[in-house]
Amino acid sequence: MKALSQSRRNLFFSIILDVPALVLAVSFIIIPIIDSVIKSFQEFGVRNIISGKPGVWNDFANYLYLSKTNAFSMATATTFSFVFTVIIIQFIVSLALALILNTNVRGARFFRSVMMAPWVVPTVISALIWMWIFQPQYGLLKYLVRLVSFGAVTDFAILNSPKTALSGVVVAALWKQIPLMSLLLLAGLQNVPEEIVEAAMIDGAGKIRRFFSVTLPYLSPVIKVSISMSIIENFKQFPLFWTMTGGGPNNATTTLAVLSYREAFVSMNLGTGAAITTLWMLFMIIVIFFYNKLFRIQDLG
Amino acid sequence: MAKHTKLKQENLGYLLGTYVLLIGILLFLLFPLYWVLNTSFKTNMEAYRYPPTFFPHQPTGASFIKLFLQHNQFFVYYRNNFIVSAAVAVLSCFVAIFTGYSLARFKNWWNKAIFATLLVSQMFPVISRMISLYVIMGKLGIINTHFGLVFALLAAQAPFCIILMAGFYANIPKEIEEAAMIDGSGRWKTLLSIVTPLVKSGLLAVGIYAFLMTWDDYLHAATLIQTDNLRTLSVGIALRYLGELSYDWSFVNAISIIGTIPVVLVFFFFQKYMVKGLVAGAVKG
Repeated sequence: MKALSQSRRNLFFSIILDVPALVLAVSFIIIPIIDSVIKSFQEFGVRNIISGKPGVWNDFANYLYLSKTNAFSMATATTFSFVFTVIIIQFIVSLALALILNTNVRGARFFRSVMMAPWVVPTVISALIWMWIFQPQYGLLKYLVRLVSFGAVTDFAILNSPKTALSGVVVAALWKQIPLMSLLLLAGLQNVPEEIVEAAMIDGAGKIRRFFSVTLPYLSPVIKVSISMSIIENFKQFPLFWTMTGGGPNNATTTLAVLSYREAFVSMNLGTGAAITTLWMLFMIIVIFFYNKLFRIQDLG
Repeated sequence: MAKHTKLKQENLGYLLGTYVLLIGILLFLLFPLYWVLNTSFKTNMEAYRYPPTFFPHQPTGASFIKLFLQHNQFFVYYRNNFIVSAAVAVLSCFVAIFTGYSLARFKNWWNKAIFATLLVSQMFPVISRMISLYVIMGKLGIINTHFGLVFALLAAQAPFCIILMAGFYANIPKEIEEAAMIDGSGRWKTLLSIVTPLVKSGLLAVGIYAFLMTWDDYLHAATLIQTDNLRTLSVGIALRYLGELSYDWSFVNAISIIGTIPVVLVFFFFQKYMVKGLVAGAVKG
């Protein structure tokens, strides 16, 4: 009897402690998400905001509109290729950096500290930094490309061509995100037990073999978390695109974030904007589901 | 003997490759920062020289002086950013103390559901929330106020802060609390004056994380704030200095530096806690 009342008191106390977070989550996350899913089935524009009238059910018109034009499917493809490219390159470079800094390279401690600088630079400012480097007439990149190509390419403007603009944003995203992933992977590497690495060495395993059969399995939980953080961050990426390219040129960098923002807050079709973010949420859920499945299979293996 | 030299050569090549790679990656990460500094201390004439100069030939602080003397609006955005970021940081700590402790100590179905919700909430696109909050907060009359902005941002930062904090509380042995309770300390007193002081460094990491993330915000402020005097830094910079002044690159680079200095200082001053906190959150959680 006493044990029961103790656990009941615990439940009561924990509920009180949870109240602030719960109120916050319900009013600023859960209700808005549900509300925006509802809005995606409604005609909801400037008129509704001004008059305060609720939106009207419009027989999937928002979704039908998205299926008629190819803007949505193009934005989806752009988003996925952005996320995929950033994550692959980010993972390889971060892992290389972490592996190097984990050896007794001279100055490793110093580098570990200064390498974090790009991570704290605000996103909009990192966009400015790269826009200046990419500047079409006086930019550093234009000059470097001219040097490297021995004067063959003299007018390289990465953000101005639909073919290369996305890679320009990828570079800026990598610059800001590589430090954090390196830091996390480095911390993971420091948790790999040295005895096992040494034992593998004595058994005659080469560097590459040691890396794949000892280091990588120990690192896998950290890899899983840091890549999932990166997936979420890059799917959401908005300010980089909005500042650097605004979605252009010729919509080459219009991602789901840019498209939904433009639809909802520039054209003020909140219903259509909500339809985009609703589908986008579904994509996220599917991606995270398969991502977790992938790692679970790997864990079993 | 021959085998020995070959091994040595292989090692030397490996070492050389390692250094080349390291220097390459560090150049990519750090050179752009040097480039900003370099440009901000040039005259605008020199910033527009092509090929670019790799250090200012006539170093000048003119862009900074111009920013401080002629662009008061920048410092309005700056001050607003401080107010909003500090408020979100303090409130995040407050929420993280209570809910973080609860999630770490009481593993009932209720808390498991909350933990899952907080994790999942990180996944949702911000724009989806903003579409709805724009309308709801407009109706409640808290759109276009710092009050509304702070709570919308708090909801965005709090989940990660709570999860991080729960990890720190979980490391504190239960026996400490039980001993305090036996000595007659109540639940609230145990939490606030016995357990929480033991996770001070974690709390610091949480506060700094919330500050840095809020300092970086763009979307919340872009959609919820319409009055120029209430704007925060990122939106202010993007709207005011990208349109009309994007031809004065020396000035834009000076803005970049002044806008980054507070977060760089905060981060490097508290780096020890911050790194420990982030690593604990990701590696253990």
